[in-house]
Amino acid sequence: MKLKKNDSFKCYLISSPSLALIALIVVFPIIYTFYISLTNMNTYHWFNPEIIGFKNYKQALFVMDSGFLKAIFITIVWTAVNMVFQMVIAFSIASLLNSPLLKYRRLYKTILMFPWAMPGYVSILLWKTGMFNSQFGLLNQWLTKLGFSSIRWLASDLSAFICCTVVNLWLALPFMIMIIDGGLQSIDRSFYESATMDGASTFCKAVKITIPCLKPIIGPAVIITLFTTFKQFDIIYLMTRQPGSQTGSTIQTIITYAYENAFISNNYGYSSSISIIIFIMLMVFARFSLFTNKKEEAL
Amino acid sequence: MKRKHLTIVLFLVLATILSLSCSKQKDENSPITITIWHDKEDVVVDVIKQALEPLSPDIVVNFERKASLAETLKLVGNNPQTAPDMYLYAHDKIGVYVEMGILEPITNLVNSESIETLVPMTKTAATYKGKIYQLPIYFETLLFLYNKKYMKPEEVPSTTDELLTYVQNKTKYGHFGYIEQHSTPYYFGPWINGFGGKVIDEEGNPCLDSKETLQALAYHLKFVKYMPDETEYATVNTLFSEGKAHTTIGGPWLIPTIKKAGIDVGIANMPIINQTGKPLTPYLGVQGFQVLKTGVQNPEKKEAIIKILQILSSEEVEIKLALASGCAPAREGCYSYDSIKNDEIVMAMRNTAENAVPMPNIPEMDVMWTVTGNLLTAVNMSGKDIETSAKQAQEKALSLIENMK
Repeated sequence: MKLKKNDSFKCYLISSPSLALIALIVVFPIIYTFYISLTNMNTYHWFNPEIIGFKNYKQALFVMDSGFLKAIFITIVWTAVNMVFQMVIAFSIASLLNSPLLKYRRLYKTILMFPWAMPGYVSILLWKTGMFNSQFGLLNQWLTKLGFSSIRWLASDLSAFICCTVVNLWLALPFMIMIIDGGLQSIDRSFYESATMDGASTFCKAVKITIPCLKPIIGPAVIITLFTTFKQFDIIYLMTRQPGSQTGSTIQTIITYAYENAFISNNYGYSSSISIIIFIMLMVFARFSLFTNKKEEAL
Repeated sequence: MKRKHLTIVLFLVLATILSLSCSKQKDENSPITITIWHDKEDVVVDVIKQALEPLSPDIVVNFERKASLAETLKLVGNNPQTAPDMYLYAHDKIGVYVEMGILEPITNLVNSESIETLVPMTKTAATYKGKIYQLPIYFETLLFLYNKKYMKPEEVPSTTDELLTYVQNKTKYGHFGYIEQHSTPYYFGPWINGFGGKVIDEEGNPCLDSKETLQALAYHLKFVKYMPDETEYATVNTLFSEGKAHTTIGGPWLIPTIKKAGIDVGIANMPIINQTGKPLTPYLGVQGFQVLKTGVQNPEKKEAIIKILQILSSEEVEIKLALASGCAPAREGCYSYDSIKNDEIVMAMRNTAENAVPMPNIPEMDVMWTVTGNLLTAVNMSGKDIETSAKQAQEKALSLIENMK
């Protein structure tokens, strides 16, 4: 027992530089942000902030006209819609890529990875000006050539939401396709052969073999993508809310809301409280996901 | 054994480096280093570098280009280790930095003559709560630009009603009589100021639901109906450069691209608004040097900064800087030089500046850019009711300003 304690101490001693680094770059900023969220740090109290308790949290969560709750609702819808589409489309494409009859699959895989290789900022602006711009965009050029009148794709909330979803899928699909493709290749072919001999249909094989086998492999990727989608800022902001090129849509996720309402007013206390709320939400979700995974593993 | 030796050697090297860096003492003859942050093009910085060359080797000036200068300064402005000593930037952030307590009044560092000889409007722009915090170098305003292929100088509309008639007649077959970035607050400035309105008053009270603002929004909307739906900078620039837009309101930064595209561009006076008898009145942006309090804590550095500002206050340097930037010099005396008098763009800006309104430099303006942008988007792009949208924007502005305090 004594030896084990010594071993444990040695382990901590050896990893102490890494732990110190993690504490410095991960834990400290979180604690410091929490501290700022309890203060009135703003332009007028920049270097002499006072502790004001949970006033910033109260304002963020309970001032109904602040728009924060609406932004949370849109964020949840945005995350759910994107995750469902990503999973379905990525699974379909990855399954097609693994079809034994498919030729040149390496070429297709390379092409499918292109959006991932491009910087997100560039892709978003290319979609905005190259595809959705009402004056020069490709979609409206086609519509005009076909005799239809042009459409303002990013003007209304619904159409802007759909356009942003399309761009998000374009950017996020390569990662999910790659993970699912890797997962599919790791499934033992003999499972399918046995199922075929037992007369199982393609759908039945997908539900009973493919999906259960994929679950533990794609689980972490799903959680990562879920977090990324939940705190997505670039797409919605650059597509619809960039100063000087707003489009008329008013959709806001919690991150764009936090940016417009907290950061532009230089109220770092308030913006920190929103950051901490988002952090808590993600932590609760991460805990819930891990708990569910463990439960499934135990079964 | 080998590993042990290597560890000892590495430890000794590290200890030597650390002890050397800690014991580094300032040599009395070493030069004074002044750091200047900026967000300008190389051509502008080269002029400053050349002007400050006589100060070397006693004073070394380091220029650092910062893409997000305004935001970075908020974070490090009071830290002598990381903050610059001075920065070259527009005047509209002065209020924020003064309230944060990081700016030194420029009057403590330059003589009264350097201030008295400025174009009055630039002095107003650099003043916050009665003190001057910037040494203005050059300024910019929006200009009324037209394509000479479609409009002869004598045909340029002198009033906004004439312009509207022109727009109604010429906006067809993919051509636009007039375009501007209609839902951007900076470009709405000429309209709201021309109607005698304000985005925000001197005391920091938003004025988005005032009678003048509503009138400006309603009248401006008549023009917006004849413009493309989306009018961000790239669209306006492209349409004018491709000869599809006949007239526009744009800054001096637009002119090189237009000329490069082969457009014969003319510059005219701003049309007069029929209802008010005042011309479209754009905002004035003043670029100049601001000094941080941390920069003048050390007496030697303070002396160096005074010398730098003295050189930068000279008319010759300011002329070179203005011409390099394509803007107008901030010092009255510069306008007696031929190089300035013969420059059509600079003189047009000087004339427009007679009526221009300096961009507000109070901290509350930070919030107003976003709220006004949202109001313009709601009215111009989403077709929302002007009065209701203005009222909502006013409430939002009040709540955000309250949030600042």
